[in-house]
Amino acid sequence: MTETLQLEVLSTIHCKQQVVRAVRFNIDGSYCLTCGADKKIKLWNPHNDLHLKTYGGHANEVLDVAGSSDNSQIVSCSADKSVILWDVTTGQPLRRYRAHASSVTCIKFNEESTMAISGSIDNTVAFWDVLSRRQEPVQILRDAKDTITSIQVTDHEVLTTSVDCHTRLYDLRIGKMISDYIGSIITHGSLTHDGQCLILSCSDGTIKLIDKDSGELLNTFMGHETNDYLLENCINDKDNQIISGSATGEIFYWDLISSNITNKLVHTYNKPVVSISHHPSDSILLSASEDEIKLWGVNSKE
Amino acid sequence: MSSESDDENVIRYGTPLEPFEEDDIPTKRKFQQPSDQYAVDAYGRRRFHGAFTGGFSAGFGNTVGTPEGWTPATFKSSRMEKAQLSSQKPEDYMDEEDRSEFGIAPMQVQTQGEFSGQKRAKSNRFHDGPIPGEPVLEQILRPVHESAAVRMLRAMGWRDGQGTGERLKKTERKKAKEQHKVYGCYMPPEVRQDNQGSADESSDSEFEYETLFAPDDYEPYILLCKNDRFGLGYSGLSRHSVLGSLVGEYGSGDRRSRLVMKEKGKKVSIRGQAFGVGAFEADDEDIYATEDMSHYDFTLAGPEKQMTTKTVQREKNVLEGFVKSNKPLPAVPSYPVPTLPRDYRPQPAAQRKTRFEPTDKPQRDQGLGRHELTAEARGALLGESQVKIEPPKPLIEVTTTTPNKSQTAMEKLFGKNVNFVTEKSEDFISIKSSGADLKTFKPFASDPSKQSRYERFLENKQVERDSDMDNVSAWERDREMLEFEQAAKLYRPLSGVMGDRFTHASQPDDALNPMCAVAKSSINYGLASEEMVEAAKKGAFGVMTRRTVDWRPESLVCKRFNVPEIGGRQEQKKEDKPKVSYSIFSYMETSVHNKESFTKEQHQFSGSKSISAERKVTEVPKTNESVAKVQEQPNKRMTVAELFLKESEKSKDTGQEVTETIEKFDKIDLYKAIFLSDSEPEDETTSTNFYETPKNIERNDSPPRGIFANINFDEINSWKRSQKDKDNSKAESSIDTKADEKSEIDKTKDIEESNMYGPKIPENLQLNTVINTNFKPKFRSKDERDESSSSDSWVDAKEVKSKKHKKKSKKHKIKHKKSKNKKKDK
Repeated sequence: MTETLQLEVLSTIHCKQQVVRAVRFNIDGSYCLTCGADKKIKLWNPHNDLHLKTYGGHANEVLDVAGSSDNSQIVSCSADKSVILWDVTTGQPLRRYRAHASSVTCIKFNEESTMAISGSIDNTVAFWDVLSRRQEPVQILRDAKDTITSIQVTDHEVLTTSVDCHTRLYDLRIGKMISDYIGSIITHGSLTHDGQCLILSCSDGTIKLIDKDSGELLNTFMGHETNDYLLENCINDKDNQIISGSATGEIFYWDLISSNITNKLVHTYNKPVVSISHHPSDSILLSASEDEIKLWGVNSKE
Repeated sequence: MSSESDDENVIRYGTPLEPFEEDDIPTKRKFQQPSDQYAVDAYGRRRFHGAFTGGFSAGFGNTVGTPEGWTPATFKSSRMEKAQLSSQKPEDYMDEEDRSEFGIAPMQVQTQGEFSGQKRAKSNRFHDGPIPGEPVLEQILRPVHESAAVRMLRAMGWRDGQGTGERLKKTERKKAKEQHKVYGCYMPPEVRQDNQGSADESSDSEFEYETLFAPDDYEPYILLCKNDRFGLGYSGLSRHSVLGSLVGEYGSGDRRSRLVMKEKGKKVSIRGQAFGVGAFEADDEDIYATEDMSHYDFTLAGPEKQMTTKTVQREKNVLEGFVKSNKPLPAVPSYPVPTLPRDYRPQPAAQRKTRFEPTDKPQRDQGLGRHELTAEARGALLGESQVKIEPPKPLIEVTTTTPNKSQTAMEKLFGKNVNFVTEKSEDFISIKSSGADLKTFKPFASDPSKQSRYERFLENKQVERDSDMDNVSAWERDREMLEFEQAAKLYRPLSGVMGDRFTHASQPDDALNPMCAVAKSSINYGLASEEMVEAAKKGAFGVMTRRTVDWRPESLVCKRFNVPEIGGRQEQKKEDKPKVSYSIFSYMETSVHNKESFTKEQHQFSGSKSISAERKVTEVPKTNESVAKVQEQPNKRMTVAELFLKESEKSKDTGQEVTETIEKFDKIDLYKAIFLSDSEPEDETTSTNFYETPKNIERNDSPPRGIFANINFDEINSWKRSQKDKDNSKAESSIDTKADEKSEIDKTKDIEESNMYGPKIPENLQLNTVINTNFKPKFRSKDERDESSSSDSWVDAKEVKSKKHKKKSKKHKIKHKKSKNKKKDK
């Protein structure tokens, strides 16, 4: 199914967060979280431009945020080296984890939201037990030799990408760490929904589709500009299109099989789209560029 | 007509039952009107009111607040009439029928406490006697209190066991007994069992004269509450277990429901659950038998078979009730152990050892503690030289060059510009100058022969038989051997140890080579081997670029991920302490007890080199040789100094400039690594050759101060290193000897890399490891927390470094690109 849906801007939210570092849909795509340079996290309903709550408590830029699967908790990481677990309704921090030695760049919950997994500039990935009151990380992965740029978590795997040009897949079931050398800095990595392929955004201006089992390169997607930005990528809900932001302010859609550019959305020209988040079940995309997030989707009214 | 006439003829008593309808299902409970469902008291008043009709009517039947009902009291208090404390009792809210016999609070006439006979226990006020506490006698003897009635009866001449009333003659008494009052059915006298009757008959003759007897005591007829809904006299199925001792009901001693009759001299005894046979029941023969499992046959065959089994002769060694089997036991199947492949090495995922496990049991109570150190030894551990003692044979290394020669070579090596502390000059030894000035300490100075043996032991690691050792038993020799080993471990000057601890930058520092810019970290391929880089360049991702390493998730992580733990549960790994105490004493202990880590460090250091890239490439065969030579004697330890002396000799021959290696021996190296850095804005254009400029990445960034200045913290932490690490290092060292076996080296390298923590190895160094396997840099692993702190501050160190350098030489343009920090900012 390669038909291209005509996506339009459904809404534009001015976040007033100086720079939005990351925008993330919640588990079912009805809300979204933005975190920004103003040290705050904001919870939105992007579908009707509603600002719901602001979570403040970080001492520096909030670099990544993730919502729990029951929507009751938010975990965020910041350049202040801390990871904070928030209560969604009260807006109060429940836990504050300080074990990273440097800025924490990325964070994810596990499938049941019982653990938070954070990656940092200190080259480590830390597992935090959010159920207990334990303040130390349960486990620290020190395999990476440079900054962890992104983390993806499945039910039994943890995928990390690093500036050391490696992507590392930790399989909890078989107890193996599979590292793949990619050849250039990986700015973001994501997994296809079937869990068979890794989508790796590389700093050399390509997005590589790597087979998870063999480590072979399946496809390369090009056309966007990277320009030393940590651009994120994602895959659409039907696993047939790869989406990535670009330094030019556009959002590129590639066909997964043919690697042709099927769509190009313009967020704002020359303002890099650093963070994107795809709706888990619908053809809706959130993109963040500077202080603005845009919700893209098919206009149902027409 | 007939029916009507019948009706008239019939005389009826009572009220006729309601005629059943044909369709009506006869139910026990008639439908009740709502009004019928109210509980009413004897006066027809509704009994319950209030919430869910559970409240008491209190006699006011929903009339509270009305004139005829109860008016709630209001609190009133004035100066004239003070409000009185009114205490309310539950009885205030009760009707008379509540207090009646069947009410909720039945009132009954009761003997008052002081007459009841049950005296309340006196409050425990013990007399202050010589024996404290409650008097023992009082505990043993309890006073019996009699009720007032008993006391009165006593006074009237009544005795215990007698009945009350007038004294009777014997005949009268007998008569009275016969016609005593019976409730319920009167049991016929012949059925009644009077067992005392015969006794009475016999005693008749004794009391022929008129004697007055007290009447028989009245035995109170105690009614047992019936709280079940079974029939009268029913008792449930026997609770005796099938295998219990009580087999049949006939052997049972007392059964509750038993009816014994005497009928025409024949005693009929009815026992069982209930009496009587229903009108519709057929006359069963054994309806009164207690249902018991023992009444059932459990065998298909008849009882005659049981008889045969009983007659089976008991055999020897057979328990009672058991029969010896005539079939032999089935043989236990034995499965042969599977044959393993020849090159199989067991390495389950679960057993991946971490280097942070304690290596041995830390034997803290061992004799060679710090308190037993002499001042000399302690000073030596701290790296001080002992001026008086002539430099004896060093403990670890094989000094092939004469000190004089080394001296000149050192000078050549280091030149003038380096402020190198030579071994002779001061009363302390620099960490780096680990060459010829290492002292052998004399732990057995008091026993010269022992000391000489010790020295010989140090030379060739063998306790030699000596003339005076001949008369010593083997046990003592073993003991001495052990002693020597300990001493050799302990009495090793710190300078040598420290020298081994420090790894040198294997690449020219940018501070030293300002023309060399730091490359972007993207060309610094992490731990990628050259093959991987090549493969990645060609786009041949897959097998070439992939590495799989065992990795063990923590048990809690597995639990949280709902993933079964690999290899089952293991014993809890010792938690790493959050902080390391940087104490010299812990260092000393570990240096004593961690031989493996110790030797590992030795090997690592002896292999680590810092040579500039181009020199290395040209020098490959030479260095290979030299190192191969060195490695030929694995037991003998080489210091860096010696290695470099050798190397410099070689390089002299080839005419290579070796001044770049000077900093290797230099304290400045360490100093720079700690303090110098650059924070200049990145500028990629100026420099022609891009070198990945390695920092002293393994160094802890915090500058050692004071007493810690000479102490290697890695060593302190090293006692937590795992066995595996050690194994690896061993493997490395062994592999180093075979320089040509590249494949093996790669393998070990993989292992090593996978186990490596901390910042990545610089790319150039990677290259070198591929080209020159002997000079494979051994990055010493660092302790976890050490690493995590240093990896971050490592970046800072760079910045500081460049700043300093800028001040030093303004004209130098240093390129220092740090890509990773820039990346994040838009």
